[in-house]
Formats: sequence, C-alpha cells, structure tokens
Amino acid sequence: MKAMNRDADHVNFKLLEAAIRFNARILGLTAGTLAAAVIYIATQASIVKWGGDSGGYLELLAIFFPGYSVSSTGAWVGAFWAFIYCGTGSWLSYRVYGKVLGARISGLLLSPGSTMNPVLKPSTLRLHGVSLGIAIGAIAGLGLFASTAWLVIRGTAGESVHAALFSNYIPGYSVSIFGGLWGAIELFGLVFLSCLLLATVYNRLVEMRHKTP
Amino acid sequence: MSRPVKDHEILSAVFAKMDAVAMTVALGALCSLLLFLATAVLLVQASPDSYFVGEHLRDLSDYLPGYSVSWMGAGIGAGYGLLLGGIAGFLVAVYWNLTHYFALGVMLISSAELAD
Repeated sequence: MKAMNRDADHVNFKLLEAAIRFNARILGLTAGTLAAAVIYIATQASIVKWGGDSGGYLELLAIFFPGYSVSSTGAWVGAFWAFIYCGTGSWLSYRVYGKVLGARISGLLLSPGSTMNPVLKPSTLRLHGVSLGIAIGAIAGLGLFASTAWLVIRGTAGESVHAALFSNYIPGYSVSIFGGLWGAIELFGLVFLSCLLLATVYNRLVEMRHKTP
Repeated sequence: MSRPVKDHEILSAVFAKMDAVAMTVALGALCSLLLFLATAVLLVQASPDSYFVGEHLRDLSDYLPGYSVSWMGAGIGAGYGLLLGGIAGFLVAVYWNLTHYFALGVMLISSAELAD
C-alpha cells in the first residue's frame, strides 16, 4: 500500500487499509446477496413458467455450481454458489480498487475535506473510473480464464458449444487454455471501457444533482 | 507533493453514501447499451442467407417478452436493459447504503457498550 502512495505524506495507512477492508466486505455482502437473489428468482421463474420441462441454459450452471439443478432445492443451492462466487469476486474487486486508488480515495468525495462528521453527515461517493476498470476488469478476465480452464480440465471443452459462442463478442476466444487467456485480455479491455463509461455517467449525475449554487 | 490526507477524510470516503438516482441511471444506461450492442454485433456480422442469426440470444425472450435478434428487438432489448440495469443499480446503491448504516449502528452500539 505504501509503495502505491509514495507521494502521499502523512497518510494513516493503518486506517486506510482498515477502510478498504471494511468496504470490501460490505461490497462482497451486497453483490453476493443480489447475485443469490437473481439466481433464486431466475430458477423459480423457470420452474413456474415451464414446470417439468424447465432447465435449458440454466441447467448448465451445474458445471460451475455443484449440486445445482432447476428445482426448488436447486434454487437454494444456486443462490448459495452465486453468493460465494459473486461475493468473493466483488470483495476481491474492491481490494484491487482500493489498492490501485490508495490515498486518492479521499479525493473522490464530492466535497473533500468539508465533511467533518463523516458518520452523521456522510458525503456522496464518486467513482474512479480507471481504478474501477482495472479492478472489475481484472476479476472478470480472471473469471473467464478460470471458467474456460475448468471446462478444459474436466475434459468437456469440445462439447462446450455455448461457451464457444463468446467468440461472437470476443474475437479469437475459444474453449482452450490459450483461447481463455486471449479472451481474458479482451474481456478486461471491454469491462475496463464499460467501467469508465459507468463512472463518467455516475460522477456527472452526482455533480449535477449536488451542485451548490 | 500532495497535501496530507486527514483521518476524517478517509472515514468520509468509507462512509460516503452512494447516490441511488445516479447509480440507477448510470447502470441502466450501461446495461441498455450493452444489450443493444450484443444484439447489433450479431446482426452486422456477415453470415450465409440460410443461417439463422442469434439462435441462442433470442432465447432471452423467455425472460424478456418481445425481444428478438433484429433491429427492432435490439431497441426493445435496450429498453429492457435500461429497466433491469436501473433496478439493479438502485438496489446496489440502496443496499450499499443500508449495510453501511447497519455496520455503523453495530459499531456505535459496540463502542457504547465498551464505554460502559
């Protein structure tokens, strides 16, 4: 952490590290719960709509979610795995975001230095697009590579026709170790750009909404 | 050389609240654009006349009624992206703020108990 903040004198690194750890846990909890809810609702919706014929693409999740199936019990199993994967991914993303951002985190407030009581009178959060892009892009790329490698390791790479469809959006991607590596790099770029866009729109709106005359 | 970063500024950054409206609009707009592009990429790719474009992506219509892999469908998909992304953005912001308030409450109670 100190290495990333050589130009920042008199920074309480212990507090900064604790702050990043705290927010990483909160984000992990938030994203994990939302992902669990999405998988649970999608599974239940599939059961309600198609009954005994439900499954289809959702059933493919069982490759990554051991014990998952499109059933009432499977919905809970899926929710559990979604919480684990998404929660861990988000927690890791914020850790990377915090490391890349370092002491500049305080400069992201709408009015830095003006909030003397951050607990009772919180400031409004702004996003740092580049750090966000690096963090989420890296985790997304790693996720794609790990998923592809898993398909190769379990010996079903040749049958993974659905995963191969990624090549429509990520030219050069294939269900192989090299294809996964190439796909991870390209996905990093795409997610990085998306995060830049998200942060720009969000920050612009925050500035517009909280502009003091 | 940058100015010193005070402790209360770090705490402000930790407890800063996410703007729910801004996150709703930003994530909605991003999802809208992504779903539009996901459809458009398939439509602009060269393919034989007999080839059925978007065989798998069109299955999104199971969850998004009216969606199809066509230019009209791309527009409908963009509308769904705006709606669903907006809902996700709103939930993320609200849940983020609520968990912070909750954690803060727990910390305040713990410190009050320690003071006793």
